[in-house]
Amino acid sequence: MTIKRRKRKKTVFLLLGFVAFVGVSIFFAQGVGRGRYSLFDSLALFGPQGLSPTERTILFAIRFPRILLSVLVGGGLALSGAVLQGLFQNPLVDPYVLGVSSGAALGAVVAMVSHVYFGLFTVPLCAFLSALGTAFLVFRLARVGRRMPLEVLLLSGLAVGFFFSALISLAMFLSGEDLHQVVFWTMGGFWNRGWQEVRMVLPFFAVGVPVLLSFGRELNAFLLGEKVAESLGIDVERLKQWLLFVISLLVASCVATSGVVSFVGLVVPHLLRLLGFQDHRLLLPLSFVGGGIVLLFADTLARSIIHPVELPVGVVTSLLGAPFFVYLLRRKKKGL
Amino acid sequence: MTPYLELRNVSFSYRLGERVISGVSFFLERGDFVGILGPNGSGKTTLLHLVARLLPPDEGAILLEGKRVENFSRKSFARRVAVVFQEAPGHLDLSSFEVVMMGRIPYLSRWQRETRADEEAVEWAMRVTSTLPFAEEPFSELSGGEKQRVLIARALAQKPELLLLDEPTSHLDVVHQMEILSILRELVRMGITILGVFHDVNLVSQFCDKALFLKAGFLLRFGPVEEVMQEESLQELFGVSFLETTHPYSFRSFFMPLWRKEKEREKALIHVVGGGGSGIPIVRLLLEGGFSVSVGVVNEFDSDEAMATRLGLPVIRERPFSPIGEETFQRALELARKAQALVVAPTFWGWGNVRNLDLALSLCREGKPVFLFQECFREDRDYTQGEVKKKLEELVERGAEVLDHPRALLLALSKRGVV
Repeated sequence: MTIKRRKRKKTVFLLLGFVAFVGVSIFFAQGVGRGRYSLFDSLALFGPQGLSPTERTILFAIRFPRILLSVLVGGGLALSGAVLQGLFQNPLVDPYVLGVSSGAALGAVVAMVSHVYFGLFTVPLCAFLSALGTAFLVFRLARVGRRMPLEVLLLSGLAVGFFFSALISLAMFLSGEDLHQVVFWTMGGFWNRGWQEVRMVLPFFAVGVPVLLSFGRELNAFLLGEKVAESLGIDVERLKQWLLFVISLLVASCVATSGVVSFVGLVVPHLLRLLGFQDHRLLLPLSFVGGGIVLLFADTLARSIIHPVELPVGVVTSLLGAPFFVYLLRRKKKGL
Repeated sequence: MTPYLELRNVSFSYRLGERVISGVSFFLERGDFVGILGPNGSGKTTLLHLVARLLPPDEGAILLEGKRVENFSRKSFARRVAVVFQEAPGHLDLSSFEVVMMGRIPYLSRWQRETRADEEAVEWAMRVTSTLPFAEEPFSELSGGEKQRVLIARALAQKPELLLLDEPTSHLDVVHQMEILSILRELVRMGITILGVFHDVNLVSQFCDKALFLKAGFLLRFGPVEEVMQEESLQELFGVSFLETTHPYSFRSFFMPLWRKEKEREKALIHVVGGGGSGIPIVRLLLEGGFSVSVGVVNEFDSDEAMATRLGLPVIRERPFSPIGEETFQRALELARKAQALVVAPTFWGWGNVRNLDLALSLCREGKPVFLFQECFREDRDYTQGEVKKKLEELVERGAEVLDHPRALLLALSKRGVV
């Protein structure tokens, strides 16, 4: 059938375009910073022999891992958001509905306030473990018999989130110190992030992203309703558990390394849907790449806009993204 | 020989102690087209979901080709049984083709692309349902009837042997209902077995081979449509009486629900003189106005007589095609005297029924209010060479009131103090 073939070609073309855009963006972002390098200099990534040691450090030890991390985290959050929105059939869902963000924040705050220290990874590790623990607590709370109704899950996540936020406020209030550090952490950012963080998230991405991307067809069936999906031979309960498990790992690793970056996970899938990509087989990869691009640009802006000061990247994403999103929404008032 | 689909004593409850399906047993042969009927909340959808393996029965067993449904693998079950649900999906930008292609999910492994065979299956499903012309259009922009056909095509793309449908015509207009049902008939001809919930008694009696009556979770009746669907069984099922007639073309049974709300008959008794159906609108008007009605004289097999009999009104009958005899006339007079007023419906007049006017005259002489209509005076309806005209004129002379239109009757009655 010719309809089908033409469409497939278009899809491949579109995806390649997005990926190419990420590549160009990375080079561009490499050039931005205190020591400005031209786009051409960025090409030195492929042949670093001609660079001075300082330049090498700036480009490879500081900027490149940071850029990579922002692309990964942005992509991971947007992909998780897209999957969750598809699963819940609810446009208001973001990757943090499972309580992962407040869980991670609680772990980080406890680590900071209590001054436990067992190496460079103390805070991220505490945040990661606490995030995962929270996700599983929410799953347990939401389980009704053999099933896990999605509405119950949503509400359990909200309740746990509120409870933990209160605990965080309480801890911050009682400690009276380290406030700045905690607040900065919850806003999210890539300041001072390097290869260790990239190495920390990479395994989760290497496994999680392909797994999530492979569920496009099943999520499409969810568009017709959970019962239809079940009647098509999909094990709906097991699918939910799998997806939620993978997403918890992915999001926990993101939050642990770069704090609570808001907006990307909620809005990037939405933007793509508004642009007409409803088919999950396309929406999921596009969300991953699109989320990466958005966060990369946001971070580049965050570290360069008011020069020596660095803005938290979450602030930038929300400040620029929200008005743009509203604009799109008003212009294309179709149902989400 | 094992039946194709068998339910053995199946029970199910959503909450403990509240059974939705109670001990249902029946079996289908391959190629059956079965319509499930029952009042709202009788468990029809639940029964369908049980067969579709979407709910596990609390008791009993459901067997497909002699094998318990839960022992099939999910995918192999989905290749045999497809479901069309009642709820339509929300906003969907995907093209109809993509929606139908979802029916191929049971045939595809995780990383596998759609093959030629999948595309052919989709094309077949869309051709059977006549949905190919809008294959590339977004699902959301289709009309209700088109959407329903696409959803049926989606189920057909599974290449099922058993198709389960939950009220597939409930939001559609009459033409689209017929269209869907004739598609289903075509599928049955191809050898697909269909079990569907329908809300329309006549769709089942016109199109299905077998009917299954479900009431409060119990199987009331199951069998061939001609045997199961009768006035009494439908009344038992729905709690309202039905009238069975024959469809003029298909010669299958056609059922009319006879829903009648009994009004308090507090008002006076009115006697209506009619014939040939002329009395029907008058009687309806009077009954709706709260009056009691008696009828006569009418001939047997006359449509006014049939109406009066069906409504259980007091009626005086004369033998078919016979003039009103003296004895009948006296009985009619006796009945009419009990009434507070007499109404002469605008009928045709001949030597057979002219004595009905004598009846009116008698009451008029006795001082009872008598009402005529302008139409009664039409000369083209007088087949007595002026005899009727004379009698009508006498009626008017003696004070009978002539009304322009039946609508004026209720007002005229109350003006004369007949309430």
